[in-house]
Amino acid sequence: MPEQNGIGAYAAYLPAYVLAGNSLDGAGPRAGGPARSVAAFDEDTVTMAVEALRGIAADTPAGHQILLATTNAPYEGKTSAGIVHEALGLDPGVAAADLRGHRAGATALDLVIRAGAAVALSDVRTTRPGAPDELAQGDAAAAFTAGDAAAVLLSRAGRTTEVLDRWRLSGERHDHVWDERFTAEILVASAKEAAHRALADAGLDTVDHVVVASSNARAAAALRRTFGGSGEDAEIERLTGYTGAAHPGLLLAATLDVALPGQTVLLLSAAEGADAFVLRVGGGVRTARGGRSVRDQLADRENLSYGRYLRWRGLLDVQGPARPAAPSPAAPPMHRRAAWKYRLEGALCDACGGITTPPGRVCASCGIAGDAGAPGKVSLRDRVATVVSVTRDRLTTMPEAEVAIVVADFEADGTRGGRLSAYATDVAPEAVVVGMKMRPTFRRLWTTDAIHNYFWKLRPWEATTNDD
Amino acid sequence: MTTSRMAHDVAIVAMGCTPFRDHWNSSADDLVVDAVDDCLKSLPGLSVGDIDAFWVGTQGTGLSGQVLARPLRLVGKPVTRVENYCATGSEAFRNAVFGVASGAYDVVMATGVEKLKDSSQSGLSAVLPPSDGTDIDWTAPAGFSLLGPAYQAAYGVGDRDMRSALTRVAVKNHANGALNERAQFRRPVTAEAVESAPRIAGQLGVLDCSGVSDGAAAAVIVRAEDAFDYTDKPVFLRGMSFVAGSGAGLATGGYDFTTFPEVVAAAEQAYTQAGVTDPATEISLAEVHDCFTPTEVVLMEDLGFSERGKAWRDILDGRYDLDGALPVNTDGGLKSFGHPIGATGLRMMFECFTQLRGEAGARQVPDAELAVVQNLGGQPGSSVAFVAVLGSEL
Repeated sequence: MPEQNGIGAYAAYLPAYVLAGNSLDGAGPRAGGPARSVAAFDEDTVTMAVEALRGIAADTPAGHQILLATTNAPYEGKTSAGIVHEALGLDPGVAAADLRGHRAGATALDLVIRAGAAVALSDVRTTRPGAPDELAQGDAAAAFTAGDAAAVLLSRAGRTTEVLDRWRLSGERHDHVWDERFTAEILVASAKEAAHRALADAGLDTVDHVVVASSNARAAAALRRTFGGSGEDAEIERLTGYTGAAHPGLLLAATLDVALPGQTVLLLSAAEGADAFVLRVGGGVRTARGGRSVRDQLADRENLSYGRYLRWRGLLDVQGPARPAAPSPAAPPMHRRAAWKYRLEGALCDACGGITTPPGRVCASCGIAGDAGAPGKVSLRDRVATVVSVTRDRLTTMPEAEVAIVVADFEADGTRGGRLSAYATDVAPEAVVVGMKMRPTFRRLWTTDAIHNYFWKLRPWEATTNDD
Repeated sequence: MTTSRMAHDVAIVAMGCTPFRDHWNSSADDLVVDAVDDCLKSLPGLSVGDIDAFWVGTQGTGLSGQVLARPLRLVGKPVTRVENYCATGSEAFRNAVFGVASGAYDVVMATGVEKLKDSSQSGLSAVLPPSDGTDIDWTAPAGFSLLGPAYQAAYGVGDRDMRSALTRVAVKNHANGALNERAQFRRPVTAEAVESAPRIAGQLGVLDCSGVSDGAAAAVIVRAEDAFDYTDKPVFLRGMSFVAGSGAGLATGGYDFTTFPEVVAAAEQAYTQAGVTDPATEISLAEVHDCFTPTEVVLMEDLGFSERGKAWRDILDGRYDLDGALPVNTDGGLKSFGHPIGATGLRMMFECFTQLRGEAGARQVPDAELAVVQNLGGQPGSSVAFVAVLGSEL
């Protein structure tokens, strides 16, 4: 444990798509208007949490927690963080729990800083088509682990305020929203109180960076004015929308991307009360980030048409192919093969060094059976794969006209092979060609019989890294 | 040794095959009865009761030997149901052959049946065991369409040339099927129609895919030495091999999607048994598994009919046309005859049987003496393969 409470590492995950227009009659987006971040049809808050956490949380020690904060968990009742835990390959001694609701993101950050938890703040937000705030809600994830490299806590303060702001019943897809003018007043009052208290405890009158996240846009604007924010947080928000429980994390990550060591940050979350954190940026902030910066990810997104967005979200019921639904997975094989399903671990042959996928007792290269008690294994999820052949399935049951399916070979470091038949994602099917470099990404393949089927897909390598 | 001859040589003395159709008014039971009747009508002295043992192949139309025993009301007979993907019909034949080759039985029957059109969907959909959900939900055309891009990349074949070769396979097989009263599709198709058909997977359009249909077929097999007791024109089994692939092509690197290694191995064994050393010149005709047009392209090389990387050119040159040097799929193939899975392998045999007896009418290949039957299942990288050589003489 670090001596000071704070943030050791952080990461943001933004999906590859942006929606800038929501006209049903085909009018183009308003120039300079807001845009929302859109998770692909195969993403949810679990998959985005895995993508955000995968680079920073693998070493979470037993006895700590992995937490998923969201307003949109894939399962009711079942713990979503457990799936994230499995995909990250965490020690079974790490507890997994979900935090639900609009305040959950701020609470999760509090538990990183004060309890040493590893957390993902992840959300997928929808409204009814044409709702006034349709482009003001968005999808994103952010992840944090404890430590002091990225930031150290100087003080914090919180206020719990029961107010009917945004809510929905079980089974409903979109929030109901009370008159924002009323709730803004309540949230602003709570947030001011929390912020003043935290600043006083930190002995500061001003800070270098003001970061405000609120479920209520009116309240966010008022608080940014009150505390003299530069507006950089609002600028990010205009490109993503309010990303629910992920929002304080996303905006904090965007700030840590540019803040200098020693600078101070007021992070103020106003949702169902308020949470204020005063942080000092750590000396290791430049190397504390997993993955790409928020701004790099925002710059790389693909514009999505409104029709495709509506289809992805199931808001437009489109005739699919005359084909049965993809089969639902069964619990025992999912459990037996968790290492393959959730972590893409193939079998590594003791005899010839070949990799067999899915893993089996007998090597596909040399035919020799491995040691059943201690089978060799190798994780392929962080390796680059090269497309061997490709097809485009035009009878797909996914909410797309077609999807690319590839067979790809992983680059081997002194080992032979490692092959994956996989759906390609975040890429136009016609753009996938033999020889293309791709990298695994955790996705939801389909949902059948009320079971979400998670596995790895491949996305273009360039989209996942700034490396050459 | 897989290249050894069997204890007894065997011969096919009668065959039957239903038309392959949308048999809306026939059940699977009706179809097997029709196929068996069609088979036995050329052997007036033989009734089902005279047959010692039966094999029935079906991929998903029923379970157990009762698929055959019940509709035929067989009494006291052994019936074995077999399944081996789309090579199920050949597998029924192969096991029936072993029944007489071993000396266990004197007269056996191999049958195959599939009833696909009682489903509301046009493609094939298998019921698979519960799984971990990590497999691609492949359509059959998607799996086989992996052949095209890999073949083109390996041999530098351009998009237009590849498309033309695929189109030629479809046009050829439909032209052959048009001459065959039992074929599902009896209308020739134009190259334009093939190339403008709705796309299904990768390069493949609807007319690159085999017909989905209902049908059944049957064969009576005896020891070669007894064959002339039944018919003046028996057809002799000269070689036969089956390979169930290890699936390594999808499980590890190395396989490049330009070939079916399982077919290559099976063909080598069958040719050795048959004494075939140069299939490109010795074989009179071949029935091959043209489930999708690129499959036939690759099979011409795997069976040794074309050099590696040259099949597309040979196809365009007309080498495999009905009047070409080595006619392939003279009955229309899966493409136009249709593909009721369990029946297909025996349907291929039926055409070779017909051709080798000189009874193929407008489709007759002159002086047909040696025919290849090649049937496969699964998908590139993970397939099962059957190859047999049939001859008008032993």
